[in-house]
Amino acid sequence: MAAIPDRISLPRHRDLEGRGGGIFWRRAMVAFLAFFVIVGLANVFGQHPSDTTVTANGVSLQLHAPNALRGGLLYEASFTIHTRRALAHPTLVFSKGWPIVHTINTLEPSPVDETSRDGEIALGLGPLRAGSTYTLFGEFQVNPTSVGWWPGDVWLYDGSKRLLHIDRTIVVFP
Amino acid sequence: MDIVLRGIFVFFALYVLMRVIGRRELSKLEPFDLILLIILGDAVQQGLTQDDYSLTGAMLAIVTIAVLQIAVSFLNFRFPRLRPVLNGEPVVIVQDGKPIDRNLRRERLTLDDLAESARLQGIGSLDDVAWGVLETSGEISFIKKSA
Repeated sequence: MAAIPDRISLPRHRDLEGRGGGIFWRRAMVAFLAFFVIVGLANVFGQHPSDTTVTANGVSLQLHAPNALRGGLLYEASFTIHTRRALAHPTLVFSKGWPIVHTINTLEPSPVDETSRDGEIALGLGPLRAGSTYTLFGEFQVNPTSVGWWPGDVWLYDGSKRLLHIDRTIVVFP
Repeated sequence: MDIVLRGIFVFFALYVLMRVIGRRELSKLEPFDLILLIILGDAVQQGLTQDDYSLTGAMLAIVTIAVLQIAVSFLNFRFPRLRPVLNGEPVVIVQDGKPIDRNLRRERLTLDDLAESARLQGIGSLDDVAWGVLETSGEISFIKKSA
């Protein structure tokens, strides 16, 4: 039988005495990695879009967009208005979080006008007939430097009258 | 600053990941492992520098990782108590020609893996082995029985 190799201790390196913690931590880390993947599948880290709809006074506004995002993501959001009554000056207003979080690549169809309303972005959509549906598509890219929680509210106005409000927070992961 | 912070996070995340994956898997590079490593590198790069194409950004990322690697290496050298955590420890897996099943299971090694490693070192039978040690690098070293 050859001599025990130098710096090998049989209790430590063969019988693994005092090394029970190592296997515990390895299993704990494997469990953590599996948990991380499951959380990702559950859309906690974002990208998968969801629908948010608010309705009042014969008008509904549906937002189709992901609530959680990651830096650099390209995605499309849509804002759909169904109205049972005519709207003379429908205006979608986006909270400040939208331009801070995103580079807005394009909006289709192009709004009739763009203004600032108390620091928020206001997009005039042009008159809507009763019973009509209007969808605004936006192509966005998430600014990698905007990590955190941002207000992602959207309002629908008719002129100066507020009709609908989607209360929303955008989360940006690094 | 962002790239340095990302570099620090990526370094430690990869360090933990490599320790969890296990030394044996990392030491053998079969074709699929090589492809996985390339994919891993690409995925890490995207998160590290994102859309920064500058030389400054690349240097920040590289130097951050190099400094951390030197720091870990220094800790490993200076503080022996940290070595098991940072670097792992060898595990005896063969004694006097007999595989130690408990240690093989712990390291997710099969008898076939063991025999393959032995063959690669010119050993035809484990009966000829006095000691087999899974080293911290993931390599298996064999010490033959004295004639």
